[in-house]
Amino acid sequence: MTTASVIDIGGPAIGRQTLWRYWRGNLKGSEYLWALAFVVPYIGVFLTFVVYPVVYGLWLGSKPSLYTDLFSDPIYQSTIVNTILFVGIGVNLKMFFALMLSGFFMRPGWWMKALLMLFVLPWAVPLLPTFISIHWMLNGEWGLINNVIYHLFHIDGPAWLNTRWFALGSVIVAHIWKWMPFWTIILLAGRMAIPQELNDAAKVDGATGLRSFLHITFPLLANLYLICTLLSTIFTLGDFTEVFFITGGGPANSTHVLATLGIRDAFDLANPRLGVAAVMSALPVMIPLVIILMRKLRTTEVEL
Amino acid sequence: MTVTIAQERLASAKAPPAERMRRAARRWRYAGSAAAAVLSAVLIVWTLAPIYNIVMVAVESHGDVFTDAIWPPKPTLQGFWIVFTENYWYLEHFWHQFGNSVYLGTAVTLLTLVIGSLASFSIGRMRIRHGWLVSNAALLTYVIPASFLAIPFYRIMQSYGLNNNLWSVIAALVTFATPYAIFIFQQYGRSIPLELDEAARIDGATPVQIYYKIYLPLMAPALVAVGTYALLLSWNEFLYQFLLLSSKRSMTVPVALAQFLNSDEAPWNLMMATAIVYAIPPAAVYYMFRRKMTGGLTMGGVKG
Amino acid sequence: MAILTRRSVVRGSLGLVASGVLARPFIANAAAMTAEVWYAQGFVPEEDAAFKKMAADYEKASGNKLDYSLIPYAALRQKAISAITSGVVPDMIEVADFQLAPLQAWDDRLVDLSDLVAPAKAQFFSTALPSTYLYNNVTKKRGYYVVPTKVAAIPFHIWKSLVEKGGGKIADLPKTWDAFMDFFKPVQKGLRAAGMRNVYGMGYQLTANGVDPIGTFNAWMIAYGGQGLVTPDGKLHSDDPHVKDAVLKTIINLSTAYKDGYVPPGCINWNDADDNNAFHSKLMVMDFDGTISTEVALFHDKEQYDDILTRGLPLSNEGKELPAQVAVFGPVIPKGAKNVAVAKEFAKFMIQPTVLNEYLKAGLGRWMLPIPEIAKSDPFWLKEDPHRTAYGELTLIKPTLPFYEAYNPAMAEVGAENVFMSAVIEVMKDGAKPEDAAAKAFKRAETIFAKYPIAQS
Repeated sequence: MTTASVIDIGGPAIGRQTLWRYWRGNLKGSEYLWALAFVVPYIGVFLTFVVYPVVYGLWLGSKPSLYTDLFSDPIYQSTIVNTILFVGIGVNLKMFFALMLSGFFMRPGWWMKALLMLFVLPWAVPLLPTFISIHWMLNGEWGLINNVIYHLFHIDGPAWLNTRWFALGSVIVAHIWKWMPFWTIILLAGRMAIPQELNDAAKVDGATGLRSFLHITFPLLANLYLICTLLSTIFTLGDFTEVFFITGGGPANSTHVLATLGIRDAFDLANPRLGVAAVMSALPVMIPLVIILMRKLRTTEVEL
Repeated sequence: MTVTIAQERLASAKAPPAERMRRAARRWRYAGSAAAAVLSAVLIVWTLAPIYNIVMVAVESHGDVFTDAIWPPKPTLQGFWIVFTENYWYLEHFWHQFGNSVYLGTAVTLLTLVIGSLASFSIGRMRIRHGWLVSNAALLTYVIPASFLAIPFYRIMQSYGLNNNLWSVIAALVTFATPYAIFIFQQYGRSIPLELDEAARIDGATPVQIYYKIYLPLMAPALVAVGTYALLLSWNEFLYQFLLLSSKRSMTVPVALAQFLNSDEAPWNLMMATAIVYAIPPAAVYYMFRRKMTGGLTMGGVKG
Repeated sequence: MAILTRRSVVRGSLGLVASGVLARPFIANAAAMTAEVWYAQGFVPEEDAAFKKMAADYEKASGNKLDYSLIPYAALRQKAISAITSGVVPDMIEVADFQLAPLQAWDDRLVDLSDLVAPAKAQFFSTALPSTYLYNNVTKKRGYYVVPTKVAAIPFHIWKSLVEKGGGKIADLPKTWDAFMDFFKPVQKGLRAAGMRNVYGMGYQLTANGVDPIGTFNAWMIAYGGQGLVTPDGKLHSDDPHVKDAVLKTIINLSTAYKDGYVPPGCINWNDADDNNAFHSKLMVMDFDGTISTEVALFHDKEQYDDILTRGLPLSNEGKELPAQVAVFGPVIPKGAKNVAVAKEFAKFMIQPTVLNEYLKAGLGRWMLPIPEIAKSDPFWLKEDPHRTAYGELTLIKPTLPFYEAYNPAMAEVGAENVFMSAVIEVMKDGAKPEDAAAKAFKRAETIFAKYPIAQS
């Protein structure tokens, strides 16, 4: 296929395979020692700081009676639904917009650079005050948003945090607001890694805009995009901060997600084991994600 | 009037195909620029809305915070002055705590970048045997979300004697940031052909030189992206800083910010002013390194 | 943030020095040891200063050292749980919430302090000791696990100027419960007519977040005769007709006030600080919130400070005096602490009447002290300031009742899930029928209580 040869980075396919055979497991002598020396620091970190906490954490959540308690909690089912919505919609919308925006920010011009600088601000502001500020903004009576609506349209805006679906929507929007810049930067750097000559060659062939994106950019970014999505899903599953500070799980415990339920169980109910059990009940979803990530990282070459 | 328009239309319809295409391209470009302008405006409003709220609270005087004003009625920079002069009891040690945060952020960033890039180089470039084991094991760090590993971490830090010490937080954050760093570096590394390493090796370069002279420069965007991620992780994080630090002298700014949640009634303007002051360093760091990000790799320049 | 007058500081420190001199005979000079103490950071800097002085004074008197940390409240609770779970504990932790002490005592994670607290029983007010008499499920007995040092209750806070502006008169405040609450309805109407767009008569905390809704629901329930929800033996009386009736009435009364538009709609999602923010910005005329921190925060603004009326509970609808639920907080000593003896000594030092009095006074009287004799004799508490007087009467003089968590830790779980206030919200927002919501709440409470069987001795 023509596309394959255009995107095959680093020379002819045949030469690549020879190289591959040459490199695999073929480190000798001092090189092997160097390779070992380079990987030892991380192994040290891992053995000292990962093994014990993770094993202890798994042990904390391993009592079966915890799970009967957990499932009999009246808000557990709605919490699962909320978690699926929060993570599913939040992560995917965020990554999709990040992908689109990363293309947007490739445009030349000084004002693009200025805009990018501005765009990074949500990421730079500290979490706690920002989410509290958003909590205030969304308040039905004195919040900035409803004040603006009243000033412009002389009607009372909806009470954003008073109903489950608005509150959940607000939390998803806040999540996207805070984290989208970060993933945009990652994908932008990914786009930067695509050799310019590919784009030039494609332009010569007459492919621009959408077609260039679909056939050149996206296949190359696909792997990165997938890895980022999986990682973001894992991070978001454990992220209690948006719900905690913006809705507090309210109204009436209807917007809890597994992470905030776990925090509530760990600290309000003084039952840390139940808290760990709450997040571990997401393991049936986490484990496949982790396995897919492992596979993705193991496959060696650029996948097309 | 209509006659001239009709004449124009007739004229353009009769124009040769190349001219028509050029005009179409121009119209397309104008539409594109207009769309870009609209998108820029949307992005600006989207990004700045919560930040505007933070700034507004920071410059308002106390009684005005929860009213229906959309513009601060009596703006004052006094809040910032109080923060700078540590003139409030929550902010007594602000600059010292700020220094702690800087120390924390720098240490976490440097360690994550060094350990992560070395490990990724060894596994991904030098292809040490069984390297995949290390990257898979690294994923285990994420099986339980970080917030719920807090209690196990608390325990091991006590047993390692790192009680109330900034290094306990540094260790915890490096532990969580490094696997992510390794994945991103590996992903980026794929777009850098192995031939480069091979060529350098044939020329007699040691692994250290390959790492330093070839790998690192080419990974610059990834390094900036991951480095900023590590910096902001430690800058934003508060749970571990709550748990592992106890004394006012060892605390960092996020813990100081949490004090404002202590009482039912706090000077919110000071909290937001502190948040703004605290947000400046990461934004500044990103600004300083942004060129490395957008400098990009041009494979054409590197190859051959 | 309130003004710290030199006089109050000097008075405070002189008092502490004096108490130190007096205290010397009480403390045997053991070999100098260091105890690790975690105390909650105060709401005002004077509280922290007062603690530091008290600690310094103890150190001088005893020769031991106190390695203390004053930790923000949210962080303290997380640290306390982490420490107790992981087994690496400090010697003394201050408890300032409803859940920690009963739940940890149940699991036998705290040191029994009966030998410390029981002998001092006479000096404390009647509710102090029952509030700290917690059940240990391992030894199957009750004991005193918390040292009573600080008392908090829930008064009403009312903006006098708003009442006047709305056409009402403070002197006309009715004496009985329902009439008292209904007083604010025409006031709201009057204020709206006068052009205040965003103002509400009653600031009820009808939210399922935080601890304030627990106090609110309980107060209404007690007012309607449902005091016997949980009895001191730890049993839940969900089929007591008085209790059922009171719970139903509470649900109906609170939800109706909301539905009729007399409560700020946003209250449903308030966290613990939001009601204060709302009250200060005059979003509502009346607030029912614990302690007088609402007023103390405005201490520097004399006009506003004087404009707030602090008052205790009205009478029940039948004209009977109602007991107020009070929370008693203080330090606990976790099991496995290395210097239990020193911690106990410090606690004993702390509860001496003069020491405790000076400590709490230097903290601007934000916390009430549990010793009625001193409260009556020292003019600071009941004579100097109308807010403090009202609050002092509410907590120490008028009849009081412990929070139910002391009777049975199951109530801590019920409170953490805000089972009963959730029932109110269901009626308010989801249109549930009050009887159904009440039945559901009782059922959930029963399920939780079943996990905490208390052996009757």
